[in-house]
Amino acid sequence: MEDAQVAAMLVRRCIDGDAAAWEEIVRKYNRRIYNICYRFAGTADDAQDLTQEVFIKMYRTLSSYDIERGAFVTWVTTVTRNLLVDHFRKTKQDRMTDSLDAAPSEHEDAMPLSDRIEDKSKPPDASVQSRETKEAVHGALQKLSPDLREAVILRDLQDMDYREIALVLKVPEGTVKSRINRGRAELARLLQRTYRQVV
Amino acid sequence: MAGDNKNGLQCAEFDALLSDALDGKLKGLQLESFDLHAASCAVCGPLLSDAKVGHSWLQSLEEIEPPGDLVRNVLIATTGLRPSWWERFHAAFITPITNLARQPRFAMSFGMAFFSLSVTLSIAGVKPGDLRHLDLRPSAMKRTYYQTTAKVVKYYENIRFVYELESRVREFKRATTPEQTQEQKDKNQKNNTSGQPDQKQERNYSQGENQPVLASTPELPPVVTVTTYRRFS
Repeated sequence: MEDAQVAAMLVRRCIDGDAAAWEEIVRKYNRRIYNICYRFAGTADDAQDLTQEVFIKMYRTLSSYDIERGAFVTWVTTVTRNLLVDHFRKTKQDRMTDSLDAAPSEHEDAMPLSDRIEDKSKPPDASVQSRETKEAVHGALQKLSPDLREAVILRDLQDMDYREIALVLKVPEGTVKSRINRGRAELARLLQRTYRQVV
Repeated sequence: MAGDNKNGLQCAEFDALLSDALDGKLKGLQLESFDLHAASCAVCGPLLSDAKVGHSWLQSLEEIEPPGDLVRNVLIATTGLRPSWWERFHAAFITPITNLARQPRFAMSFGMAFFSLSVTLSIAGVKPGDLRHLDLRPSAMKRTYYQTTAKVVKYYENIRFVYELESRVREFKRATTPEQTQEQKDKNQKNNTSGQPDQKQERNYSQGENQPVLASTPELPPVVTVTTYRRFS
């Protein structure tokens, strides 16, 4: 039986009040949702809270899932993404990588974003990816604008295809590709400038 | 940028093909014109190299393991299932301890402690196979206690018997040996050139010879030697 059919059956059982089916859904998707939340929000505590909120939202709106409109995993990712965007708006973490070299408007004398990335790491090594390097990449990911960040997270970390990402983000595939390219390039510039300063 | 046309490919087209190029999906003429544009365009060339680097950075990030109690918390938050007393006890006491123990520094300490203990036990001759035969029932432990006590009492009684025997032999010797005359004593005194008392001198000699414990008086040479070799049963 295909994954989509298994998921649809689980959802149907869950709507009928089968607690075991809901537990199976939670066990199957908690890892994916937690990882998206962690990479988007940046901290483990926020990720845990957001994951719980996502599941609560899913539990309440499970009956709205329509198998004809897409795979269950796409629906789960869409719910997660919408909640993350809401959370982002609430916390007002407005970080734009388009003005990477510009100082923030309210602090004209402040250092540019690239200078403010925490320097915890040594230069990159092709063979050995140290923990510090991963933390630096994770830190740089948080500096990307939400549009670029969600695109690269879904593509490079969740391995979704462009069509699925376009469904989740509700934008054309071309825009998805453009955001992914820009996101990757901005991330590289952020990290390269940091390392150049360290070296 | 969008209107630039280099090598038959516009910058906007290059941007659209960039993701596919990094995924390795471009082939033939399309790949050729893509590479030519990247090599000649001052904007798209750096964009391609930055995107490649960024892609590789992102690939280095691994999946994060969710907290162990996440599923339980989600189930409680959604279905309102109350955890059992065991789950609550586990979450309150055992989980924090196991989390602490999982830290590398503690794991190393536990490893070293285990290693030291196993080395000590093996040196002491304790075999894990012996432990299987250990009877830890209360009745068995009580029996072991009484057996051990009996062994100690028996040992003490044996020692007492040996000392009594030694003392009797010493008395018997004293009664049977004729007393030394004053002359003989004086002669012995003259032979003693060490300047030490007779008793001390004799003790020094006995130390040098490493003799066994003798049942005799210090003044007289040993006549009867009683050496006991007793073994615990």
